[in-house]
Amino acid sequence: MMSDRIRGLLIAWAVSIGAVVTALLASLVVVALAGSSPAEAAQALFDGAFGSTNRTAAMLAKAVPLTLAALGWVLAFSARRINVGLEGQILAGGAVAATIGLLVGGVPAALHLPLLVLGGIAGGALWAGIAAWLWVKRDVNEIIATLLLNLIMVQAVSWLVSGPLEEPTHTLGQTEPIAATARWPVLIPGTVLHWDLLLVPLLAVGLSFFLRGTTAGFRLRATGANPAFAAYSGIRTARVSALALVASGGIAGLAGASLIGATPQANMADNFSANYGFEGIVVALLARNSPLGCIPAAFLFASLKQGGGLLEARAGVPSGLVLVTQGLVIILVAGAGYLFERRRTRRVTAKAPSQPLPSEAPASDPTR
Amino acid sequence: MAPLDTAWLAMTVVLAVPILLAAGGELVSQRSGVMNVGLEGMMLFGAFFGFFTVERTGSTWLGLLAGVAAGTALAVVMALLAVTLRADQIVVGVGINLLAAGVTIFLNRQLYLDAGQVTVDRMARLPIPLLADLPLVGPVLFDQSPVVYLCYAIVPVTAWALYRRRWGLAVRGSGELPEAVETAGINVNRVRWGAVLIAGGLAGLGGAFLSVAQVGLFIEGMTGGRGFLALAAVVFGKWHPRGMVLACLLFGGADALQLRLQNAETIPPVVWLAAVAVAVVFLVLRLRRGGARAGWVLGVVAAAFAAPLVLGISLSLPAQLWLALPYILSLAALAGLVGRARVPSALAEPFDRRAL
Repeated sequence: MMSDRIRGLLIAWAVSIGAVVTALLASLVVVALAGSSPAEAAQALFDGAFGSTNRTAAMLAKAVPLTLAALGWVLAFSARRINVGLEGQILAGGAVAATIGLLVGGVPAALHLPLLVLGGIAGGALWAGIAAWLWVKRDVNEIIATLLLNLIMVQAVSWLVSGPLEEPTHTLGQTEPIAATARWPVLIPGTVLHWDLLLVPLLAVGLSFFLRGTTAGFRLRATGANPAFAAYSGIRTARVSALALVASGGIAGLAGASLIGATPQANMADNFSANYGFEGIVVALLARNSPLGCIPAAFLFASLKQGGGLLEARAGVPSGLVLVTQGLVIILVAGAGYLFERRRTRRVTAKAPSQPLPSEAPASDPTR
Repeated sequence: MAPLDTAWLAMTVVLAVPILLAAGGELVSQRSGVMNVGLEGMMLFGAFFGFFTVERTGSTWLGLLAGVAAGTALAVVMALLAVTLRADQIVVGVGINLLAAGVTIFLNRQLYLDAGQVTVDRMARLPIPLLADLPLVGPVLFDQSPVVYLCYAIVPVTAWALYRRRWGLAVRGSGELPEAVETAGINVNRVRWGAVLIAGGLAGLGGAFLSVAQVGLFIEGMTGGRGFLALAAVVFGKWHPRGMVLACLLFGGADALQLRLQNAETIPPVVWLAAVAVAVVFLVLRLRRGGARAGWVLGVVAAAFAAPLVLGISLSLPAQLWLALPYILSLAALAGLVGRARVPSALAEPFDRRAL
């Protein structure tokens, strides 16, 4: 059993790394076809992410919301709820955080920053809570609901930054910087890296422990693996799934608070979520829904995102290439899942005619 | 009737057509059980390659064809992964959106950015003789681009095929109870392949309509969420063609109104009156079908809209509310406020014939 698991993990890593390498190579071929030098492009991509302390710090800062969004996806997905609304939940959390940062004044930082963080979590959780409520009470498909909620939140933020929360000149379409007391302190002076980086290991390890080491986590995984059986064994599956969705939104909201309170400009502008919500899904996919795996996957994607900036400036290659690479990674990983699933189903059915387990089945070993 | 005139109606049709094309394909795809979130990317692909082809060949029709081909090409990727390889449909859709955004940005900057904004001649309008001279109906429906007329044909034919043909039965069955369809000797995954390809082709055509017929240029991200609007229209229309068409017209009309009122400080009373009228019509329809609770909810909404009018206040509504309204309405429709919506049972679930 154990060796099986290790083998599965090794294959999973091989697939993920293979997908990334293939996508990168394909992108470099595109660069060559476009008449630029692939070597120069690769060098620019690398330098953009690791060329100086500043750039590496910026890369790490980008990894924070990416990891958090990915962890949000993993949490909901463990209960087999598809949360496509991370983007909207990031926006919702950020909007609440920005409001707290702007309107609450005269509080010490020891209180203001926690308020900002909690506000972010609450905003994201609330926005996901609408979808959870609709799913439980009205049987509304959560995929469609979260997708629609994204689009509503985009407009809500656009209204906030060009209306009630706009800076006094009413020309820039963004808010003023939030109060200094509400901001995350800088981790490395002179760079854009803030202390919220700590959230990455904290939450990844925390979520990993929660899912594998607690009763609540077991209930969650059981609900995801086989809702009928979970319900039969006394788990209130609807409640568990709804809470998973809400908590998932909370983590995304936390990412939103970081995008407001842990950036040099420390304000809110249109689309400040910058696609992190969707890229988080890619990261989680690459990590095969393992919370700890999300960390390296997020760093990889953050390097791509950060390196893409220099790609355009130095090598003259449009930064759209980074999006192409990301899209290719998703498609390759999603496609490779097939090989995997097939092998596993065959093995399971060979042992006992039980329920076919979904890939990376959380309840593969309920006896632990 | 300052803002609600013939020009507004004509604009409504123009703005509804790309959404309608994409939504028509998405309807087929979703009824077959495949949720195609990559619609936005397919439209974007159609918009870029449509424009590119017109710019190179000078032929608008070739451009539209290229748009269809580009959308279909992405749909092949979608079907291969989500149908044949049974990957998660949502994840693949997200991937396709990223890929399409990336490819179009890359090519646009590589090909056009140094040259400044490249434009092509927009597709000319083609007034239909006699019909175009009709009062009101003429300028609104029959003095449009040929693609609009194409859309008049495509949507009813799709609806007819979906409900009156064996193929349509297979499509709807694949989305409801794929096991039964497979047992009847029809290959579910082949049906789904077809449905996904149709969705891609129509989305590509919708995208090409934007760049080739409507504006004559390509802008990065020019689809501006229309793919998601089309998704919302399918949901708001409760997975039925008639509802979907109404939803698209409603979205198009709201969009056209928003464009016209962009510079106005307040919403004119006529608009309020129209909004109340629409709400009342819905209300009456609902009450007649006996949905009392939903009727009350709509009554309150109508009253809320009517109140400022009665009180003589000209309220200023943010444009963002208009833009978010389609999605809010869709969510309300899903939640059962406007009648019960029935989602295809097997939506977003890959089908494995070996598991039968």
